[in-house]
Amino acid sequence: MNQLTIALAKGRLADKGLELFKNTDIEIDCDENSRKLVFTDAKEEIRFIFAKPSDIITYVEKGVADLGIVGKDMILEENREVYELMDLGFGKCRFAIAGFENQNINKKNDVLRIATNYPNYVKRVFDAKSQRVEIIKLNGSIELAPVIGLSDLIVDIVETGETLKKNGLVVLEELDSISARLVANKASYRLNFDTIKKIENKLGGN
Amino acid sequence: MGFSSIEEELRVRRLRKDMERMVEDYFESKGFSLIEPDIFLNYDDFLLSNYNFDSTKTIKVFGGNSKIYVLRPDITLNILGKIFAGWEANNPLKIYYNSKIYSNSPDGSIGQNYQVGVEFLGEEALKADKEIFEIVIHLLENLKTPYVLELASSLYLDSYFADLNLDMKDEKTVKKHIRNKNKHELLSTLNRLGIKGILEVVLDMEGNMEDVINMARKYPTNRDMEKALDYLDSLVDFFKQRNLMNRINLDLSMMPDLDYYDGIVFKGYCQGVAKKIISGGRYDKLTERFGKRVPAVGFMMDMDVATQLIYRGDNQ
Repeated sequence: MNQLTIALAKGRLADKGLELFKNTDIEIDCDENSRKLVFTDAKEEIRFIFAKPSDIITYVEKGVADLGIVGKDMILEENREVYELMDLGFGKCRFAIAGFENQNINKKNDVLRIATNYPNYVKRVFDAKSQRVEIIKLNGSIELAPVIGLSDLIVDIVETGETLKKNGLVVLEELDSISARLVANKASYRLNFDTIKKIENKLGGN
Repeated sequence: MGFSSIEEELRVRRLRKDMERMVEDYFESKGFSLIEPDIFLNYDDFLLSNYNFDSTKTIKVFGGNSKIYVLRPDITLNILGKIFAGWEANNPLKIYYNSKIYSNSPDGSIGQNYQVGVEFLGEEALKADKEIFEIVIHLLENLKTPYVLELASSLYLDSYFADLNLDMKDEKTVKKHIRNKNKHELLSTLNRLGIKGILEVVLDMEGNMEDVINMARKYPTNRDMEKALDYLDSLVDFFKQRNLMNRINLDLSMMPDLDYYDGIVFKGYCQGVAKKIISGGRYDKLTERFGKRVPAVGFMMDMDVATQLIYRGDNQ
């Protein structure tokens, strides 16, 4: 059998992802504090690689990883050619438009300035609303943008809303819900059909 | 493919040229004749038959007559125009091409892709399809790498959707989830729309050819779907005789990349390359647009992927 490669997003999703494989025959023993990025299961049938969340889809689309575990937020942002095989049910949160209380999110004749880490997704959302926007791409601390006047609104993933609250912001509109997904390379899916179906089963799919 | 030196580039070019010669000789030995596709296509014509095609990927050019043309993003459509301009369709026609297609790359540059392929027109469907599969399998076997041939029938789902009569936006959403094999979101969309039946299980209709056909037979179907299943059934023996059943993966949920396919559709994949190397199918309905409906089937082989494979084999 060919060795399959599964790419995991470093951090919380990887821990939860690895937990799914616990008690299956492809469990791996990996030291979370180690800086190693590649681990192989005991039978050497599966190789796990750890990468930045935003790179997982690229690895899978290009086929260097056959499967990947990645947040739906990245799938929506990247819009790539991969199969989205399973909702793994963890890492739940949602996309939301946030800003100051009672703020207007429809300004038909105005351009709304929106800070986000997800520019492609935001463009699609506001195109559908026929609302013109100026997108300000930030890489972190998105909540800061409206507070210091960089943007009118933000679009970000919200889990509890605690960070928003601490910065005086509220959710103005809920958008897509997000959770961890199992994605597959299209060619690899076909070439390793039986193996991938078995892995889906192990992860609780049917 | 990027090259580290001119020597390497020349070596790869030579390998590809050898491969091209081999393929061209083989096509000619099977009675196919070479045709040169035009490089520019009328943009409106292209969109008309490919409404799902991502038009941002096409390279547009303005003609002197203020019309918009695209650098050919696909070859079949291009050569059909040429053929029907001067063909009476009295006898079957077998042609092949060795050419390039163009598209916008995500980085904004213009991407090129070498393809060889054949079109077989005017021959009875099952006979022509078997001949085409014979050729496809010969080419795949020749690459000396384990492969899988993904088989589907676009008639199966297309005729189901025609009966469903969904509004365009909902149909697009449902099809998107099927295309992405996103069972979770497909089921929730179907639930929202109150749709039950085949679409709820269509993502499970893939795998061993006989198993999938048997599974599909358990669901109520319309006449065209029945026809699609019967047709696939009639190919089972063909693949069995050649001992190829373990190489065939039937996927009734497969949505073709191009809208003009209306029957059998197939893609070939080789172990170790994350791209399809072969892609083709039947497109009888499309020929109507050129004035006369004739049975038509064709496929292309991605020469860039094939070159990558033989180059890798050569280095081992």
